Amino acid sequence: MVADVVAPAPAARPQIRIEGAVKSFGGHVVVDVDELVLGDRPIEGLIGPNGAGKTTLMRMIMHSIPLDRGSVTLRPVDGPEVALSKLPADQMARHGVVKSNQVITDFDKLTILDSLLLASTEHRYEQPYRVFSEELVFERYGSEIARYLDYFGFTDARALALSAGEKKLLDIIRCLLVKPSFLMLDEPTAGLPGELTEKVMATIREIAAAGTAVVIVEHDLNVIWSLCDEVHFMAEGKVVLHGDPQSIREHRTVVEKYLGEGHV
Amino acid sequence: MDFLARALLIGLTDHAPLVLAAIGFALLYRLTGLINVAYAETITLGAYFGMWANTSFGLNFYTVLIPAAVMAGLVSVATYLFVFRPARRRYVGVLELIIISFGLSIFLRHGLQFVFGYPERFFNVPPPETIFVAGGGVTSFRLVALLSVAALSLALYWIIQRTRLGLQIRALASDEDLARVSGIRPLAVTVLIWFIAGVAGGLAGAFYGVGASVSPLLGWRQFLAIFLVVLVGGAWGIGGVIAVGVATGIALAAMALQFDQALYGQLVLIVAFIAILKWRGRRLTEQAKV
Amino acid sequence: MLDWLDAFLITGLFEVVMIAGLGLLLHLQLGLARIANFGVVGFWGVGMYTFGVLYVKVDWPFGDPWQFLACAAAATLVAGLAGALVGWLISDLDIDGVLVVTLGFATAVQIVATTEADWTGGAFGLGGLGFPYDIGTVKENEFVWLMITGLLVAAILFYVWRVHRSPYGRLLIATGGNEPLARSLGKPTFRTKLWLFVVTSAAMGLLGAMEAVMVRYLDVGHIGISITLAAIVGLVLGGTARVWGAVVGTVLTVGLFDIVIRTYLPLPREWYSQALPVMREVLFGLALILVLLFRPLGLLGDMRRDQLMRKLHGR
Repeated sequence: MVADVVAPAPAARPQIRIEGAVKSFGGHVVVDVDELVLGDRPIEGLIGPNGAGKTTLMRMIMHSIPLDRGSVTLRPVDGPEVALSKLPADQMARHGVVKSNQVITDFDKLTILDSLLLASTEHRYEQPYRVFSEELVFERYGSEIARYLDYFGFTDARALALSAGEKKLLDIIRCLLVKPSFLMLDEPTAGLPGELTEKVMATIREIAAAGTAVVIVEHDLNVIWSLCDEVHFMAEGKVVLHGDPQSIREHRTVVEKYLGEGHV
Repeated sequence: MDFLARALLIGLTDHAPLVLAAIGFALLYRLTGLINVAYAETITLGAYFGMWANTSFGLNFYTVLIPAAVMAGLVSVATYLFVFRPARRRYVGVLELIIISFGLSIFLRHGLQFVFGYPERFFNVPPPETIFVAGGGVTSFRLVALLSVAALSLALYWIIQRTRLGLQIRALASDEDLARVSGIRPLAVTVLIWFIAGVAGGLAGAFYGVGASVSPLLGWRQFLAIFLVVLVGGAWGIGGVIAVGVATGIALAAMALQFDQALYGQLVLIVAFIAILKWRGRRLTEQAKV
Repeated sequence: MLDWLDAFLITGLFEVVMIAGLGLLLHLQLGLARIANFGVVGFWGVGMYTFGVLYVKVDWPFGDPWQFLACAAAATLVAGLAGALVGWLISDLDIDGVLVVTLGFATAVQIVATTEADWTGGAFGLGGLGFPYDIGTVKENEFVWLMITGLLVAAILFYVWRVHRSPYGRLLIATGGNEPLARSLGKPTFRTKLWLFVVTSAAMGLLGAMEAVMVRYLDVGHIGISITLAAIVGLVLGGTARVWGAVVGTVLTVGLFDIVIRTYLPLPREWYSQALPVMREVLFGLALILVLLFRPLGLLGDMRRDQLMRKLHGR
């Protein structure tokens, strides 16, 4: 069983506040969140049965799905609040808000190394007149990229990513290379073998300890129980429960609606 | 006679084929998801087929409409069967499909000159009577064009929105697999869509051709206006295409009366429609799939 | 001097060089960023007419070559501004929107060139242009101009080659391949596309100015869709995704047709006025269809980033 959570160093973390966010598809309400604050604790989990609206909620935060109503605000560690729902998508990353994807997405013409260099490279190196900056960029970001590649066991980064697992990892590493202050991970370990799952979890712990707020949607509840400091339980588009993993996994509603007897 | 009435009269009669052509293009665009640049040549060929039937067999203009429409429809079906269907089966990308249709457009536009000759051709029809409507003169052809376009447009609208066939067409457009399961034969229905679109384009071409001359660029000159009408009006369905097409015709006529150069009207049209598309595009911007 | 050189050959080679240059620029838009620009001729025409009108209608206080340089710079600038406008318009539109905007732009350029006849000469044409130097016969002047334009296109080729080997090229490929993903990684793709259009359109405008000097007489028929077609066919046949695609493709299309067939095949004389130009377009259109159906990536095939990365950051 999980022991009492040791209070982490009170590092300031950015928060995302979701207020009155509603999304419906064809008259069917998929997400209806009155108020939800993410980022209170270093690593938070978002769980719930299929169709509870977890992925939709995350995509609403990134507004790759537009809100019907409501607002999403980022409260950074320093500086004024930012209304994320009014921001163009490319500005999100510059405010440190990044999300990995549930469905496998990749740049199909770019190699693994390309894809990671792209994520690391600051935009000022990508101007039309800077056609001689490749070496500079590689020198600057190459070692960090190599560290991740070695850690996750990529053998040939100069090739195209082929397997679903490679693409999934690539998606996560890309997010890490953007240096997020608020990282959302949508099923980061789905489809990964056990040892890689462990490595992803270790990495998540590491960056959370370094001050990044992490929110995870995950079906593998072992990942949630062992990683998260707080868990939000969603059902039918609403966030119905909050609490530490211990209390959530013992809560009657959760057990009945989601876990079933066998899980406890 | 006041300006507005004249603009209305000329706009409706002169630019009636625009509406018809736009409906045909919109059918393909909305129902098969394809931007078919070669649709311009369906229009051109309609004019050529009509002219050919008219000058070779001495048929009068109204009879000529039937072979013109049918043959343009068949060409349209042929382009589907020999170009676009194989392309779809080879999973050619959307962007490449547009380039293919562009190539087909060029191919037909120039290829037809080897069949029909290089010089401009003309319909051989008796000079039309001038009929006075609402205080303004209008030729009988144009009046017929307006009436037939109106009738055809309504008929197409009715077929698509109200009949069983239209239901099948719309079902196919929204979800091919589901349509297949529900017993719709995709190939037959798709061929029919291409045929109807070709008929609409061919008739529009015949009307354009009899009003002036028949030349290889006949359809291409109208293509941009048709495309703009469909992109802007298509957001409100076939009804929107008809409404925007009619409005465009009237606006073009009004501007032709106002400006000393008819081309300025086209310029204004291009600018205005692109502004609308841009304004609309900005609001849809971030609905991306990440 | 230059007796060995056929005058037709110079014109044919110039055409090849010109279309290859446009194809290379189109490659950045279509091959990397996946933006189908059907208005290539519009930017080229803006440069051509800006140059022509300034060169002929303005009373310059200095002569050639400064007059040429000033006008060519202005042509480049105006085409770049047109690129900024079109780039902004299309930055957040989908493929349909891009098609209609670029086509609309090319049509608008043609309309303005026709209607503003006081400036452009309209359908009648605009004469009074010439080479910014005079070294003897027309043929020699044309030959030198061919060389200069060749150098310019070689510079464009070098730039394109460098773009493939730079973070900028990577960003373009990412934008074309998966724009939403690139945006979620913080890449301002709209601005990227806008600047891509500024740069490539400015270069197209400069090429237009070079063409104006070569033909020495501008008329509206010159800025028709067949220029766009030639650039697209060349690029698609060679390979949209490859650096050398436009060059290889243009040599095989424009080169083969305008040099080999037109100049060296024993064809009946009466074909030259109508049959040949029409046949050229028929073949180009057919080539476009067949290549995209049977070998969509062109003769050179797909871009090989894996090979490139091994070369650049080899292990």
